[in-house]
Amino acid sequence: MDGCVGRSSSMVTRRMTLSSAPLPKVLAIDDSELIHRLLRVRLQHEQLELHGATESDQGLRMARELMPDVILLDIEMEGMDGFEVLQALKSDVDLQDIPVIFISATASMEDRVRALDLGAIDFVGKPFEVVELKARVRSALRVQHLVKMLAQRAQVDGLTGLWNRTYFDRRLSQEFAEAQRHGRTVSLVMCDVDGFKRLNDERGHPFGDMVLERFAKILQGGRTSDVACRYGGEEFGIILPNTTGIEAIEVAERYRRAFEQEVWSAAAGKVVTASFGVSDMISLPQATSFNDLIASADAALYRAKLNGRNRVEAAIAPNPAS
Amino acid sequence: MRLSSDSTTVRSEFADDPDMSPIVELFIRELPHRLAAMHSALASSNFEQLRSLAHQLKGAAGGYGFPKLGEAAALVDQGIKDGCDPNVIRSRVGMLAALAARIRP
Repeated sequence: MDGCVGRSSSMVTRRMTLSSAPLPKVLAIDDSELIHRLLRVRLQHEQLELHGATESDQGLRMARELMPDVILLDIEMEGMDGFEVLQALKSDVDLQDIPVIFISATASMEDRVRALDLGAIDFVGKPFEVVELKARVRSALRVQHLVKMLAQRAQVDGLTGLWNRTYFDRRLSQEFAEAQRHGRTVSLVMCDVDGFKRLNDERGHPFGDMVLERFAKILQGGRTSDVACRYGGEEFGIILPNTTGIEAIEVAERYRRAFEQEVWSAAAGKVVTASFGVSDMISLPQATSFNDLIASADAALYRAKLNGRNRVEAAIAPNPAS
Repeated sequence: MRLSSDSTTVRSEFADDPDMSPIVELFIRELPHRLAAMHSALASSNFEQLRSLAHQLKGAAGGYGFPKLGEAAALVDQGIKDGCDPNVIRSRVGMLAALAARIRP
């Protein structure tokens, strides 16, 4: 009785023991059901989650939905062939970093070169050797793991662990476009540690670094939907999706108070503060790009500095209806 | 390539692999339907259809432990691609069918 039951339950067990790290997803795009059956059996003991598409369009759609870690792609399919699918994948910013392994029965040298030149990471001929196929999938998964790690590292600020400027620009531009498309709003808080240069000069760089780290920690401890980034130097930007300017002012005010109340053991009695500028899309109906949001929040931040620092200023009157 | 005189049975290279045997058996059960579809495509001179069927078999048969069947399907695929005479194609489909007829679970 243990034969069949044992095998199916071992699949479940494996998934459960690894639940801390989700299994890597592999998407196979091939118009032959024979190949899908084969892959399902041949890859069933690998640590991965296999998905299949039998048509190009369906394959592209599933790639967007699943964001697989590796794509196995057949070259010769009806309709859009594998080369076209590969081109579509590589011209989509969200999908272009997914490694693609080509599978083809033709496997002419020209095809292999063309596939690699179009951005495929590897090539397996049909009928494939099982051991080789598994090894190539594993190898592509390793590459993808590193690519993901590098991509993330390249967007994280080393000192504070917040998102960096590169990520900030990309994310704000995305949120701005999405808000425009769906008639939603986005708010932006730009903030800056008051008198940071003097702090650095008087207390030394290690103290300055500590100030930035603690400020970052406060900004990071806000609402989960808010995106805190280090904009550069002592300036930070927080993207608040689906948030009105008035709500954003309240959020900024909470950060301001929390920072003001920090206790600095290395400088007893010293109060370190920050100033905040808020902008939002509703108060800027003429905004055509996310840069307008930044400029407006920066102008508000400048006003906060002029008006005595340690305060929140907004680009809008708090009650736009009046 | 002469296969007509050979009447020994052919088994999958993976017939004894417990993971593989269910899908190998399914492959064998479906094979007559695939061949019928190829014959009918041949009869109506639908070479595009015939080539697509042969191509799928070429890519998959080896994976199911029937490399010779894959090679025979490749000859059909290649023959149509090269624009061979329909009689050549017919004889190649015949060889493929003869080989398929020897396959046993």
